Amino acid sequence: MPRNGKLVRVSLVAAAAAGVAVVAVVIAGTASAKTTAGSVNGAGSTFVAPLVAKWEAPVSSALGISLNYNPVGSGGGVSAITNKQADFGASDAPLSQFDPTCSSCVQIPWALAATGVIYNLGSLQHLNMTGQVLAKIFQGKITNWNSPAITKLNKGKSIPSKQITVVHRSDSSGTTYNFTDYLSHVSSGWKSSVGTGTSVSWPTGEGEAKSAGVAGGVRTTPGAIGYVDVYYAVHNHLGLFKMKNRSGNFVQPRAKGILAAASLDTHPAKDGSLSIVNPPKSKKFRNAYPICTYTYVDVQRSSGGNATNIKKVLSWAITMGQSFGPALIFEPLPKAVVAFDKKQIKKIHS
Amino acid sequence: MTSLDATTDAARRPFPGRRARFGDLILQGTAGIAAVGALVLVGLIVWKIASGARPALHAFGLPFVWHVVWNPVHGREAYGAGSFLFGTAVTSIGALLLATPIALGVALFLSELAPGWIRGPVTALVETLAAIPSVVIGLWGILVLAPILRDHVDPALHSTIGFIPLFGPSSYGSNVFTGIVVLTIMILPIIASISRELFLTVPQELKEGALGLGVTRWEMVRGVVFPYAGGGVAAAMILGFGRAVGEAIAVALVLGDGLGIHLNLFDTGQTLGGKIALNYQGSGSGLETSSLIYLALILLVFSILVNLLAQLIVRRAARRKGLAA
Amino acid sequence: MSAVELSPLHRPQDRLRRRRVFNRGMEALAWLAAAIAVFFLGVVVWSVAQRGWSQLNLDFLTKSQVQFEPAVPQGLANAFAGSLVLVGLATAMALPFGILIAVYVNEFAPRPIRSAIGLTLDVLAGVPAIVIGFFVYGLIVVAHGQSAYAGAFALAVIMLPFVYRATVEVLALVPNSLREAGLGVGAPRWRTTLGIVLPQTIGGVLTGTTLAVARVAGETAPLLFTCSLAPNGIHWNPSGAIQSVPVAVFELSDSAEPSDHARAWAAALVLILFILVASLTARWLATRSKRKIMRAGR
Repeated sequence: MPRNGKLVRVSLVAAAAAGVAVVAVVIAGTASAKTTAGSVNGAGSTFVAPLVAKWEAPVSSALGISLNYNPVGSGGGVSAITNKQADFGASDAPLSQFDPTCSSCVQIPWALAATGVIYNLGSLQHLNMTGQVLAKIFQGKITNWNSPAITKLNKGKSIPSKQITVVHRSDSSGTTYNFTDYLSHVSSGWKSSVGTGTSVSWPTGEGEAKSAGVAGGVRTTPGAIGYVDVYYAVHNHLGLFKMKNRSGNFVQPRAKGILAAASLDTHPAKDGSLSIVNPPKSKKFRNAYPICTYTYVDVQRSSGGNATNIKKVLSWAITMGQSFGPALIFEPLPKAVVAFDKKQIKKIHS
Repeated sequence: MTSLDATTDAARRPFPGRRARFGDLILQGTAGIAAVGALVLVGLIVWKIASGARPALHAFGLPFVWHVVWNPVHGREAYGAGSFLFGTAVTSIGALLLATPIALGVALFLSELAPGWIRGPVTALVETLAAIPSVVIGLWGILVLAPILRDHVDPALHSTIGFIPLFGPSSYGSNVFTGIVVLTIMILPIIASISRELFLTVPQELKEGALGLGVTRWEMVRGVVFPYAGGGVAAAMILGFGRAVGEAIAVALVLGDGLGIHLNLFDTGQTLGGKIALNYQGSGSGLETSSLIYLALILLVFSILVNLLAQLIVRRAARRKGLAA
Repeated sequence: MSAVELSPLHRPQDRLRRRRVFNRGMEALAWLAAAIAVFFLGVVVWSVAQRGWSQLNLDFLTKSQVQFEPAVPQGLANAFAGSLVLVGLATAMALPFGILIAVYVNEFAPRPIRSAIGLTLDVLAGVPAIVIGFFVYGLIVVAHGQSAYAGAFALAVIMLPFVYRATVEVLALVPNSLREAGLGVGAPRWRTTLGIVLPQTIGGVLTGTTLAVARVAGETAPLLFTCSLAPNGIHWNPSGAIQSVPVAVFELSDSAEPSDHARAWAAALVLILFILVASLTARWLATRSKRKIMRAGR
């Protein structure tokens, strides 16, 4: 009996200690949360995530605010801000694309970049591509890399006979919106059979979660094709197509091409949205890359106690923050857009 | 189960005395509330999922279950569970077909054949693996298994037995076949460890009696062990199947999120759980969210039915055993 | 067997030989099955261990994740801290609840209610984790946002049937002589139950709880909806979302970054080691407590 009693007592003490430890941790956590003031938490677009992640350290040192960002995809970002689960949501697709949308939000274009069309054909770099051919590939109508439609665009390059593996996003994504918006602009077949959206009914291909998933899928699958924010393409050393614009030039998704496209629309609509996909044929857009987008941050108009901090962070992001962009292939916002943004930020209150 | 009934009436009788009765009342009351709480909890789960699915139920009705469509594009919205139900069925049944014979072999090996020095480590390995989180198996599936299958196994199967439409052309690393293999690895240890325990419950006298009559070991297994443990093994298979059907994380990582119904195992697919897991964080529309919850409702109803069936089999087997004894 | 009956021409010796050969064949198949299973299961464990082991350094255990900075030394300390809070809270919710249900079922409930509650909890044990995640999402997250409380509640729902089953099984083993002894010396029911019967079950309850903890420590699906939008760094406050090990593995496994994969492997290894230790502990506790109850009954 004494040994049993001991076991019981030891077990009881262990269980009690575990219980006390949990309670202590919880109390300590609750207490410490109250002492660390000034954090702004956001969620959303994986497209803009490299830039926002880069902002975290300078925001902390310049403003004393800890900026946190969860790259969960644009759909996740809009849903998080709509349900007030975050201080801001980030989306590459305008709010009007969501239903139910955040009707009590202000929409602020806060970054500018391009969607790169990536591929994995070993060391074959800088191939040419057109929107019409791209639409056919993503519809499953062109299934081999050495199909005449592709080789015709790339004379002088030896493209292997290899099955094309389409990789697309599986979650609700602003990058998908940008990409399908472009395909709908250039291909009536795509527009009528698939259409534009943050997620669509894909006719073919393998779905991967988030930008990192698509980049990873293309990187590990020989013969794969996909689309991601240019940062992921460059960072992962993936093949990146030069896309044909309406002026007939094949353009890389780099600073020059993005800035040229951005000049298509610098005066946001009343809801804050802009569209710069597939600029028309003109001298001004001669070098424009056709799959560019402004990307948005969405904030509740009445943001409660954290409104001041949110406004500080956003004001910093659209001004100082832009200088961190070019290293990650995000281009600075045009002046007119920054002026508009400042007015939008003023609408946020507690 | 029978030992539950052993608490005698004497022990149940409430003790007289006001303070004592007050204490008894409190304990019985709190415990009773907790028990009612469990019933309420399950009811709440059913109610919450069902009410979340109502908009989709209203919009698409019962045909949702077999409609092969998932189109979230504005103005063309249409949703149905058909592709995912098909994907779930193919991967789960495939995994069950692959896992069951191997699991039974393992269980027989561990309970009847294995020399002592192998038995311990292998049993420990099987039981540890039954507890390995699905996200770890999914990680292994996408980073180790998928490339091997894509580069070596899938093309080899296609070129040798490609005349069977199941083994069509392959190019995706994430495909239905990868999903089947991952689920097999997940449910094999579950079926094996439950079956092993069941085989060990077969009374030694029965086994020795049979062997004493001069039958071979296999005949003893067929004549004594299988009939004795059969109901339990069936229940173990059903539980393994239920686990495969309800799995979300591992298959979300390796199936490639395909749409549609096709025989080719080397094409992409999707299951009910995987679809929910991948689209959890915000869908473009309220109707899509509700449709996702409708998928969860299908899973919930299925899991309840599967469990009731397993319970029924276990109880019937127990009753039969009770009669035989 | 039927084949044997169809060929009466064979002499008994031949039949015996054929039966023996067949037996050999079946035994060989069982060996083969075991070899296949051990091979595959071994390969899983080995590849996790081999890839994760080299990553298990001090940085991995003490530093937090830093996104998009593969060059910065980092670890998963934030996820470890979060998992600790989540699993601790879930245990604190599920343990008393599960024990009380078991006490009611074994000590008080009339028979039909007993089997109804038992069946309900068996059904609950079979509900897919992702459905439970959706349930808690609808119940808590839609109105109050993600938090560790919501995540822990989802985990607790998964733990509950384990704790209940473990407790009710040992309660049933407690011999009635103990209950009668308690009542016999004039102790009321509640004191007998709490002071004599329940202490006998501690070992068994701890076994069940340990297994349940091992199970939910690796659960990803219920946390995706309820506790995945975590801020950077280590957080102990459960009123906000916090990172956890399984969610981190899920996110890292879909990355294109090799260093992310490396951390995912290391985290997977930690999970496996934790489960191994937990199940060994559980087995040790189980043998000890069973022996103890047997002795107390004498």
